[in-house]
Amino acid sequence: MSAAAEAPSARRDSFAGPILELRGLEKRYVGTHALKPADLAFEAGEIHAIVGENGAGKSTLIKLLTGVTPRTAGEIVWKGVPTDLSTPNEAIALGINAVHQEVVLCPHLTVAANIFLGDERTARGLLKDRAMVREAQRILDDLGFNLPAGAVLSTLTIGQQQLIATARAATRGTQFLIFDEPTAYLTRQEAAQLFALIRRLKAQGVTIVYISHRMEEIFELADRVSVLRDGMLVGTRVVAETTDAELIALMINRSIEQIYHKETFAHGAPVLETRHLSGRGFEDVSLTVREGEIVGLYGLIGAGRSEFVMGVYGRERVTAGEVLWRGQPVTIRRERDAIDLGMALAPESRRDQGLCLNLGVGLNLNLPVFDRLTRGVTISASEERKAADKQIRDLRIKTASRNALALSLSGGNQQKIVIGKWLNHGAKLFIFDEPTVGVDVGTKAEIYRLFGALLAKGAGILLISSYLPEVYELADRLHVFRGGRQVASHGFKAASHEQILTEAIGV
Amino acid sequence: MTDTAATGDAPRTKFEFSRLLGLTLVGVLLAMFLFLAWKTSTFATPGNLSNLARQGAIFAILALGQTFVIITAGIDLSVGAVASFITVVVAMLIQSVAPDVTAWLVGAGLPESIANGVALWIMILASLLLGAGIGAFHAFGVVKMGLPPFIITLATFTALRGVGLLMTNGSTVNVTNDVFTGFSRGEFLGIPNLFMVVIVVAVPAFVYLHLSRWGRYLYAVGSNPEAARLSGVNVNAVTATAYILSSVCAAIVGVMLASRTGTGNATQAIGFELEAIAASVIGGTSLFGAIGSVWGPLLGAFILATIRNGANLMNVNSFWQFIITGVLIIAIVYADGLRRRRR
Repeated sequence: MSAAAEAPSARRDSFAGPILELRGLEKRYVGTHALKPADLAFEAGEIHAIVGENGAGKSTLIKLLTGVTPRTAGEIVWKGVPTDLSTPNEAIALGINAVHQEVVLCPHLTVAANIFLGDERTARGLLKDRAMVREAQRILDDLGFNLPAGAVLSTLTIGQQQLIATARAATRGTQFLIFDEPTAYLTRQEAAQLFALIRRLKAQGVTIVYISHRMEEIFELADRVSVLRDGMLVGTRVVAETTDAELIALMINRSIEQIYHKETFAHGAPVLETRHLSGRGFEDVSLTVREGEIVGLYGLIGAGRSEFVMGVYGRERVTAGEVLWRGQPVTIRRERDAIDLGMALAPESRRDQGLCLNLGVGLNLNLPVFDRLTRGVTISASEERKAADKQIRDLRIKTASRNALALSLSGGNQQKIVIGKWLNHGAKLFIFDEPTVGVDVGTKAEIYRLFGALLAKGAGILLISSYLPEVYELADRLHVFRGGRQVASHGFKAASHEQILTEAIGV
Repeated sequence: MTDTAATGDAPRTKFEFSRLLGLTLVGVLLAMFLFLAWKTSTFATPGNLSNLARQGAIFAILALGQTFVIITAGIDLSVGAVASFITVVVAMLIQSVAPDVTAWLVGAGLPESIANGVALWIMILASLLLGAGIGAFHAFGVVKMGLPPFIITLATFTALRGVGLLMTNGSTVNVTNDVFTGFSRGEFLGIPNLFMVVIVVAVPAFVYLHLSRWGRYLYAVGSNPEAARLSGVNVNAVTATAYILSSVCAAIVGVMLASRTGTGNATQAIGFELEAIAASVIGGTSLFGAIGSVWGPLLGAFILATIRNGANLMNVNSFWQFIITGVLIIAIVYADGLRRRRR
């Protein structure tokens, strides 16, 4: 398309300073400081990598740079001129674009239609389909992608769709292109094609921001790398002058936060054992959870930890291996079987898996135990009220009443419902999948105190977290997952942060 | 709309609104009654009122069954077709099988009238069982085959009429059993029998939806099936129950229709499914699921029946009733949307 043809000249810039500069850029949400004041300058035509753990503030930074969310304070300076950047359209008009991990295109349209979406070639109001396919094909051939422009997008692999999304972003006069973990679903060959494209864009003067977990990609591709930790920009390094050990050290929070106070209890008999358990997304997982013990599962998102617990819990089918409950082999076919044994699950996504948002707090809290509140045919209204009120009181859930809709509560209080609906019902194993994502520090501390109370009652806890300090400080035993496999296991603080992160990333 | 005084667990905002909407609907109904009694001399007569009760009863039961499905965020387009198919089935059973059963029972020593009654009940129960089977088929399509509720019930909607027409060869089966046809004209304690059926259906429906845990599960499945599943709710069974109940309600209506018209005919009850959905929506049921009650669709159905009845009595061009129904649907659903946004 035209922008691509004239790109080299159009992007040659008379302005000599950094193309984009952040001055004290800051983002606060209620109760959390998602990005602490950050100063950073992106040079024109560089590939700038950004690394950090989950929740370190990377996605907040992307949202600020693409105008998706407004900043709380600070300045964004584009080619020396302070800019609002408060809407996505403003970002696109400046030439700032992003390619996301998940493809956001129309799967039912052709490749060409997707590339030209919102910018169609027309003649007298009618689409020039063939011309667009020809032009799209020329762009794809030009980029060295061996892909048909006339094919329907959904017939392509996710990786190929990712390349199309990149091509689309690259052909619109883009001067500043952000990649958010673009290789997460790509094969090696597709990743190589993507890298070639990124280098070509760099040669044309486009500034690239590249966000990734994969160290080897950063060393292969990037000129400079910035590290985020707990919402703070902790350092920027020239890639040629740094090592992965230094970057990992920067990524980890060395100051142990006061919020983790771990109480240690005597470990009793095993509650749950899995032996060589395999299923969709996980393979050959063997671990044991004892009474009074927290077992942590650490890994990057998509490492197979949630899939594993969903297998144990009966949500997903287990294809091989054995589950033992208090020493007895058991078959768990559905969630109810697991609950009846004494398992409780607080799932990863409270919106999608945890809550009935447009129903009452009380109904949500009582959902797993309505059978116990039933007298004969009907539910005992007084017991239903009592059970809900007790949970609200015990967990200090801030809600107008038990009848308020779950969606009217704050994130932290919603999370308390997801966790709270299982308490006081005598469960012996609690599975917490990312229990503190998106909750403020105060609620975090309350949740950790709750862990202690559960352990004191003789329960075991299986804790999944992508936030290393959390599992590191709390888990009596820590299993590291990567690519659906259990790649390492450590006792309480028996390995260094560096070693664990290295195992999880697979450097 | 989940609430009544007896269900302590429904949301407060919803509680207040549902009361308000409930009162509004009762108010609308009362206002229409007073207006029609004032404007016409024919409305407030025992004959007309019991006629109105009979008309409303048919739609009330269809709408009630429909509401269970809508609460799960589904839809049942087949209820009219099921009702008309059941008129054929029950009519054919009564004409061809019931006399044999009666004769056998008389042979076994029962008096003629009791034997006839027992035989009728067997035919009716068999028809309702068939209704349950149709509902189970819908449930199978939705739960096991993963078909959208709209599609599977649309398929039944057209196919069942075909089956009914094949069975009757396109003609009408006349029911000659006077006890059966007399039922719809009869009264009990001064209340038309067909209206009594509404009460007989609504009471267990109320217990199911508002007082039992299965009702709570129905709302949970309509709100977020994954959250319900992970909380140990058997989502498939709960969903299946809704479709089976809807079809059983439609089958009950089929039996009522056969009694009222004295015929089994596969071309009856055309468009009843939309009437039932309209009654349910007017009664406050949300097509997005998780919001609905037992008395909402009942009130909605009687409001629609009163509009029709009143329009006839006042010699309003009967086509107007369709327009009034349309306006009412928009007004009620818009008011419902306003409430949500304000929250």
